[in-house]
Amino acid sequence: MFQRLRSLFLVLTRRRDFEDGMSEELRFHIEQYTEDLVRSGMSREKAARVIRAELGSPINIKADCREAFGVHFFDEFLRQLRYAVRLLRKTPAFTATALLTLAVCLGANLTIFAVIDSVLLRPLSFPQPDRLMTIFNTYPKAGVDRDGSSLTNYYERRNRIPAFASLSIYSYGTEIVGEPGSTERLQTMRVSPDFFSTLGLGPAIGRTFTDEETTSETDHVAILSDAFWRQRYNADPNVLGKQIRVNSVPRKVIGVLPPSFRFLSSDARVFLPLASRPEDRLPSRRHSGGNVIQMIARLQPDAALAQAQSQLDAQNAALEVDDPQAKMIADAGFRSLVVPLRADHVAAVRPTLLLLEAGVLVLLLIGAVNLVNLLLIRASARAKELAVRQALGAGWRYLVSEVLVETTLLTFAGGLLGLAVGAAGIQLLRSLGADRLPLGTRIVFDARLAIVALVAAIVLGIVFALPIAGFHLRRHLGNALHSESRGGTSGRGAQILRHTFIVSQIALAFILLAGAGLLGLSLQRVLAVSPGFQSDHVLTGQILLPWADYPEAGRLKFVQNLMDNLDHLPGVLSAGIVNNVPFSGNIGKSAATVAGHVRRPGESARGHYSYGVAGDYFRAMGFSLRAGRFLTADDSLRSSRVCVVDEDFARYYWPHSSAIGQALWDGSEGGKDDEAFTVVGVVGGVKQAGLTENEAQGAIYYPYAFRLGDSIFVAVRTSQSPESFAITLQKVVRQIDPDVPVSDLRSMDTRISDSLVARRSPALLAGLFSGIALLLTSIGTYGVLSYAVAQRRREIAVRIALGAQPGQIRVQFLSLSLRLLVAGTLLGLLGAWQAGRAMRSLLFQVPPLNLAVLATAACLTTLVCLATCLLPSQRAAQISPMEALAEQ
Amino acid sequence: MHNAAALLPGTLDMLILKAVSLKPLHGYGVLLRIRQISNAALEIPQGSLYPALYRLEHHGLITAEWGQSENNRRAKFYTLTAAGRRRLRAETAGWNRLASAIAAALNATSEEV
Repeated sequence: MFQRLRSLFLVLTRRRDFEDGMSEELRFHIEQYTEDLVRSGMSREKAARVIRAELGSPINIKADCREAFGVHFFDEFLRQLRYAVRLLRKTPAFTATALLTLAVCLGANLTIFAVIDSVLLRPLSFPQPDRLMTIFNTYPKAGVDRDGSSLTNYYERRNRIPAFASLSIYSYGTEIVGEPGSTERLQTMRVSPDFFSTLGLGPAIGRTFTDEETTSETDHVAILSDAFWRQRYNADPNVLGKQIRVNSVPRKVIGVLPPSFRFLSSDARVFLPLASRPEDRLPSRRHSGGNVIQMIARLQPDAALAQAQSQLDAQNAALEVDDPQAKMIADAGFRSLVVPLRADHVAAVRPTLLLLEAGVLVLLLIGAVNLVNLLLIRASARAKELAVRQALGAGWRYLVSEVLVETTLLTFAGGLLGLAVGAAGIQLLRSLGADRLPLGTRIVFDARLAIVALVAAIVLGIVFALPIAGFHLRRHLGNALHSESRGGTSGRGAQILRHTFIVSQIALAFILLAGAGLLGLSLQRVLAVSPGFQSDHVLTGQILLPWADYPEAGRLKFVQNLMDNLDHLPGVLSAGIVNNVPFSGNIGKSAATVAGHVRRPGESARGHYSYGVAGDYFRAMGFSLRAGRFLTADDSLRSSRVCVVDEDFARYYWPHSSAIGQALWDGSEGGKDDEAFTVVGVVGGVKQAGLTENEAQGAIYYPYAFRLGDSIFVAVRTSQSPESFAITLQKVVRQIDPDVPVSDLRSMDTRISDSLVARRSPALLAGLFSGIALLLTSIGTYGVLSYAVAQRRREIAVRIALGAQPGQIRVQFLSLSLRLLVAGTLLGLLGAWQAGRAMRSLLFQVPPLNLAVLATAACLTTLVCLATCLLPSQRAAQISPMEALAEQ
Repeated sequence: MHNAAALLPGTLDMLILKAVSLKPLHGYGVLLRIRQISNAALEIPQGSLYPALYRLEHHGLITAEWGQSENNRRAKFYTLTAAGRRRLRAETAGWNRLASAIAAALNATSEEV
């Protein structure tokens, strides 16, 4: 097989040599034979006759020789290709429309497929990635769906769940890396020693962490990412043993990861051991995950997910037996779930991506139907020519291959253009924030995608060829020769087919429009939701205070300094500190104990957003005060045990009395009387996770002194535009400590707007798709109607000659298009209803069947279709009987 | 020539391989060689000769190379390849089996039945 392909290839590349050689060989044969015959006494003329009789025609021999090499297929193909090019060039309007349609439809599909491919399809770059699982604790009845895993979970489960070959934990973080004066803030990961072996991909140079390196006294080691190693150490092969300062603590480099190492969407540059103290691993800390530490595991080769889940459930049940909190935990609906790692990572975006894929496929379908329709019209224009050729003996194989070559040439060229559109589309998606999707940075336009697109284009060409070839072959030749000529009428079947296509196009475009409308309306409804604070004129930024440089007192001092410096700046109305600003992406909740609150049977502990605030945070953010007072700068200074709760919290625990003066404890275990916090104020509820968050779980605001996290957000209300204050804010922080950078500097408005990317981009894309769909539909309708008018030119002329008014003719064609429109819209309504139901999970406060959306979609489709029908109808009405009847 | 036997289908390829196996030959030479080794008892359809040569070349059983003919003209010479040699051996064996089987069948007498 290979030998034959090679020899065919050699011949094709040296085609001229092949032909010349063949002629020369035959000439040689004839001359030699002639000489031999003449030598044996025959006359030259006789010899020529004899040879001619014995050898046959050289032309036939050559044709047979070409066939022996399979070259003739290629010749045939080239001939048909040239013919197809000639035909397409004769109808530039059709060709341009077809190419543009294909380019847009294939390009749009390529773009969305690129995203689907990288996010949903392409496996993670670890060995046997489908064996990788993630495990997280969930307390659904406490309003905490996802709480990560605790250190205790890790140490209790390690090597004790037989279905897992390996189990490890990690947490994401950002740390300040580098020598004083040249520090940068980098993404980091803290991982347990077996993290890399769980993934199956460890350091390219050096070693992984050991169990001995998991205490805070011994964890002074680090593993670098390949990118960081190249950028900071110039790929120095002797990097092992060198020192790297992380959060001012010197650590020894013990390994460098391979270039292909990339854990999910993380861009971590430095990996550190996930160190902990023995007391953090005690059973009492089992449920203190807080969504900070995540667990992954690799299934044994022969184990199933269900097996792992039941082993985990069994272990959890056994461990809870002697847990004093067992009752509360059970009431909260606690479970530890095993979920495939990749599916879990992309679960949030999966429905949106699938919806977009469906939308773009509908677009392709509309484009394809459109093209088939245009091709059919073209085919009927050529029906007579082909019938004549068939009558003259052209075989069906030849006709089919001719049609096939033409349609495939068209779709292939469209596919090439589609590659360009797709590349631009991927660029557009990036600007819409596609690389912020999980695994979104992997979205690339590569040879693989290009091949998929071109293969799809060829398949499309073959699909297009089928109805066209069928149209030519199924026709009775005699009928074909007569129909659509002077004496004939148009083929009834072909006309019905054309109209069916138009109806389905209108229906599909309607579905797309309605879908886009639902998404747009959802977006509008989401935008109308109040975040619970005044988001304008607030600049926020994150500051990381390393423990080594900033122990407890140092932190408070830093915060105090920062507040003092900011307060005196012109343009600052108020400034505050919080350890977790709304829309930061951190949605961890924690428990609180309310004095005097006895849980009703079946009622579980609740997780609340718990904040530590300093300065004038509430005024800076524009919170509304419902009762009592805000926490002031003095509260955080004096470390007085006071707190503020939000209205949801107050309503839940004290539905009939005032919250002010009530006592509560941080944590689920209560505490001594002098550790209780007194509620001094009630503020309005605030959206933490996003505008669409609808669970009002309640929030507690403690003075920062009691919630000293190492990450803080500074919030500044400015009189000018908040963005312009960013540089000043950075300068102020640098004045206090040059090695503490401010990162993630965004205004609250920007944070809210960024949180809507997952809604805005799909709505935008769906809008774009439905716009294109409408355009395609109008092109299709225009084409079919123009054709109908052209075909019935003579009939119309006769009617006008007999006294029909131009208005009657116009109405006739307009009513035809109106009938198609009504049928298409009714069908579309049905489809839109189904589509709305399918996308219900993506809608926000919009029912799947929204009248306003449907009415708008119907109006738009009607307007566009009627507008495109006006021109051909008008043309029909203006046909001059004299000219039309004189033709042919 | 009038008493030359017509070729059985499929035997031309075999004869060409045999002719070329003795010595590299050009197309006309193949024709002459087959006539010579068959004592002019076989009628070679000349029109099929070249397509057969091209087919064998395409299948890698023979290779072609341009060279000088006996009277110093440019001619294309065919040589047997290793694959061609294997094929010739197999076809020869197959032919011999077939021929002897048919001969045995045709020579059967009434006593042997």
